[in-house]
Amino acid sequence: MQDLGFIVAGWGLILGGLAAYAGLLLRRLAVARAASLRIRRQAESVASPDHPA
Amino acid sequence: MNVTRALGVVALLAVVGASINALFLVPADVNQGDAQRIMYVHVPSAWLGYLSFGVTALAGIGYLWKRDLRLDAVAVAGAEIGVIFTAFAIWGGMMWGRPVWGVFWQWEDPRLTTTALLLALYLGYLLFRRLTDDPHRRAARAAVVGLIAAVDIPIVHFSVEWWRGLHQAPTIGSPDKVLNPSAPGLFVIALVSMVLAFTIAWTWLMIRRYQLARIEWQIEEHGRLGRISAARRAVEASTGVQGVDGVKEGA
Repeated sequence: MQDLGFIVAGWGLILGGLAAYAGLLLRRLAVARAASLRIRRQAESVASPDHPA
Repeated sequence: MNVTRALGVVALLAVVGASINALFLVPADVNQGDAQRIMYVHVPSAWLGYLSFGVTALAGIGYLWKRDLRLDAVAVAGAEIGVIFTAFAIWGGMMWGRPVWGVFWQWEDPRLTTTALLLALYLGYLLFRRLTDDPHRRAARAAVVGLIAAVDIPIVHFSVEWWRGLHQAPTIGSPDKVLNPSAPGLFVIALVSMVLAFTIAWTWLMIRRYQLARIEWQIEEHGRLGRISAARRAVEASTGVQGVDGVKEGA
């Protein structure tokens, strides 16, 4: 294959970048979902009648 | 398995299958050699850059009309993913340009320069969004910036027809060339397969980024309300007056 270095660099960065962005996005989503769940639980515990005023 | 997860699996399989075809099964171009294979990732990336920024502009118009923050979440998803794909298109173009044109980049070329400008405009859009915490103010301002930046999309696309430069005219991109492409059938099939595979992956990324934007907005709103009530309590504690109304949003 001619110009192998350019092909590897071109394809590698694009497919690798796509995979890295997808992975990062899933990680950000998991962190945000965990934070959202924590906030909801906190709000529920404050709203519950057992919670000290 | 939910629909979005299934879509992710389909996207992965489609990208892997189309990549194997484009890299190993389709013959090399007679004139450009194997470097032409870079086109199979460069063209889909450029198309998805346009599509993403187009979605951002349309969602911006939708937000200005309906004032619905879900449309702002679509707009930010489009902008972020568009920046990624436009950067990929520029990188792919550079890796193809060096062996074929003899240069990585040429500022005199209108397509290259207007694409770099498009990337800079939407990077600016993403930075601009960080200037304010108020979700509606941010969405409205970003919608206007997104619409102004979108003016560059047709300029990028038609630059190869309006001005002379290194970049060639579309092979299948213009309406008259869709049915009569200037490339061999196998090349067109490989290119269309990659475009479809990347578009499925783009759809999955857009859904996930939209979901993230919605959750981030909820967390941000919770933090904002928390800061307001903390400020209200501080004012009440210092003045001894209960039910202070002076502390409002943005305080």
